Amino acid sequence: MRFGAAAAVAIAAVVAGLVLHAVAGRGRELSFTLIAGFAAGIVFQRSQFCFASAFRDLFHKRERRVLLGLITALAVGSAGYMIVFGAWIPDPALHRPNTAHIAPVGWHLLLGGALFGFGMVVGGGCITGHLFRLGEGSAVAPVGLLGVLGGYVLGLAAWNPIYLNLVSSIRGLWCPERLGYAGSIALQGGVLAAGAALLLHRTPAPAPAAPSPATLPVVARRVFVERWPAWVGGLALGLIATFAYLRTSPLGVTEEIGRLARLAGGGLGIMPDRLQGLDELVGCAAVANPDTVSTNAVFVLALVGGALFAALVAGEFRPRLGTAPGHLRALGGGVLVGFGAMISLGCTVGTLMSGIMAFSLSGWVFLIALALGAWAGTRAIGRPSP
Amino acid sequence: MKLILVAFFLVAATHAALAQDALVSTDWVFQNVKNPKVRIVEVSVDPGLYEKGHVQGAAGFKWHSELCDPVARDVVSRENFEKLCSRNGITADTTVVFYGDNSNWFACWGHWVFSLYGHKNLKVMDGGRQKWEAEKRPWDTTVPSFAATTYRVESPNLDLRARMADVLDVVQKKQDVRLVDVRSPEEFSGKIIAPAGSAELAIRAGHIPGAKNVPWKKAVREDGTFKAIDELKKLYAEAGIDGSGTVVTYCRIGERSSHSWFVLKCLLGYSVRNYDGSWTEWGNAVGVPIENESGTIWTGK
Repeated sequence: MRFGAAAAVAIAAVVAGLVLHAVAGRGRELSFTLIAGFAAGIVFQRSQFCFASAFRDLFHKRERRVLLGLITALAVGSAGYMIVFGAWIPDPALHRPNTAHIAPVGWHLLLGGALFGFGMVVGGGCITGHLFRLGEGSAVAPVGLLGVLGGYVLGLAAWNPIYLNLVSSIRGLWCPERLGYAGSIALQGGVLAAGAALLLHRTPAPAPAAPSPATLPVVARRVFVERWPAWVGGLALGLIATFAYLRTSPLGVTEEIGRLARLAGGGLGIMPDRLQGLDELVGCAAVANPDTVSTNAVFVLALVGGALFAALVAGEFRPRLGTAPGHLRALGGGVLVGFGAMISLGCTVGTLMSGIMAFSLSGWVFLIALALGAWAGTRAIGRPSP
Repeated sequence: MKLILVAFFLVAATHAALAQDALVSTDWVFQNVKNPKVRIVEVSVDPGLYEKGHVQGAAGFKWHSELCDPVARDVVSRENFEKLCSRNGITADTTVVFYGDNSNWFACWGHWVFSLYGHKNLKVMDGGRQKWEAEKRPWDTTVPSFAATTYRVESPNLDLRARMADVLDVVQKKQDVRLVDVRSPEEFSGKIIAPAGSAELAIRAGHIPGAKNVPWKKAVREDGTFKAIDELKKLYAEAGIDGSGTVVTYCRIGERSSHSWFVLKCLLGYSVRNYDGSWTEWGNAVGVPIENESGTIWTGK
């Protein structure tokens, strides 16, 4: 039954890909984005990569799995980005890459990251977390996403004073510009390695499991049913991020949300006439053409589709209504997440991952603030009842 | 005396203006990569160069299939030329900027083909890929998609092309036309028929009677840029080409000679035609006169 549904999802994705490919001018970009989004959705669902549960479980249960997966993704993606930079920018001291998410640095990032981190833990999901759980059939996820949209609108309304007062360095800091490629990969590689070592340091060694034979049913179960080891998901995510940057643009999930927020805010009449500096800055807030559906919309929808496909195959598609308090927390947390994402010009994917992979200081600043906010959030929700 | 000075300055200014008109700098191209009125085109000989990295937004033309007729030995047909321009979003008003590898030698040929079909606004990026690379400017690997246009050839300028019959007239009727052979001195003198590794050869070696040898590479510097106008004038004046009368350039096939055609016509403002077909046609033709100083005559073997 569920395999039939999974096949239907896969067929729908193929048909959508063919239709998109035929769009004049943007066809190749759109069809590739669909593939990347679908693959990312599978990776997120199979690995259960959600930043919210990652930090919450770290602080509550000392569970390090997802964070190790994140470090793997960052390491692989950084190496991949470096290879692409080498092809495009012979001398990083002279030129910057056009589309990499090298965002401005300032207090706005600390505020945005902290609010995002707090909100995601309280609400039970970061944006990609909500997206892949939507694919698993959670009814709380769309409520969370609605909250994100609302928070984004508020962020746009509050943007101008924030930009004028908190955004200090528009240029941000691109490491290769200062340290060259070799220096940057050495520094960032060192930091990531240190982070991994720290996380692994006090992990108790698991009881050695009897190795199971690599037969077809065993392998099939490991790939399609069991949760992926964190490093596998991280490796896949790092590769998807690199290929997306090479072919289209850095990974991000808030560009379309931002476009819808601008339309909604404009409709409600609470948008300022001009969003200072926004249209020149790179990231998920700069909107190319407000009237047409963005390429990012394809990515986001494909991500949900991929997660749905993976969940169906694994038998993890469980439509669940959730509780009323859960919905309220998701909505409230979502507003904080959306606001934080807007003023940070991206979320855990667009600002954190795509920023760090591009060797931008903005990614690291957002990560630190996110961790602090998440810590505060886990204190706020308290330990789960045993 | 005053009149001479005025005339001198006018001519110098015109030539400077011509050079300004025909060439653009790497910096200008860098500033104009997103200009909708500009179409940057790479025409490189070495396969794979464009794919490895090109100027952002540049289209890559495959010289052997998109600018040539792949079946009959001719330049691209008018119909296919219109299709090429249409699918690359070129309109009659678009400024097409050519650049390429090897000191822009095939980029100039692209310029010549477009000139033949009467496209008005054409430029060459001085220094080509070499200069762009030396200046460590960014490369891009994305192949751009253009909104298709309906391009129509309006006023082809077939006068820019010399056919074999025209060149035969020059030689036999001793017309006042200067022939410039832009090949290496060894090819010119007849020592060799073609450089090693060339696929297109000829049955006989030598040059067209009356031709002067000015190898095409003498017009450019080491870094790929064209030499200064006065240097170029001196270079060709030494071979008897001073702007009077018409000039016909030729090489082995006709692509390299477009480079010298570009120098003489677009930079120096002389009246120039390019003999497309060049030595692969002349050296294989029956009954045409040939000069061969090196004595490498055919011995029946």
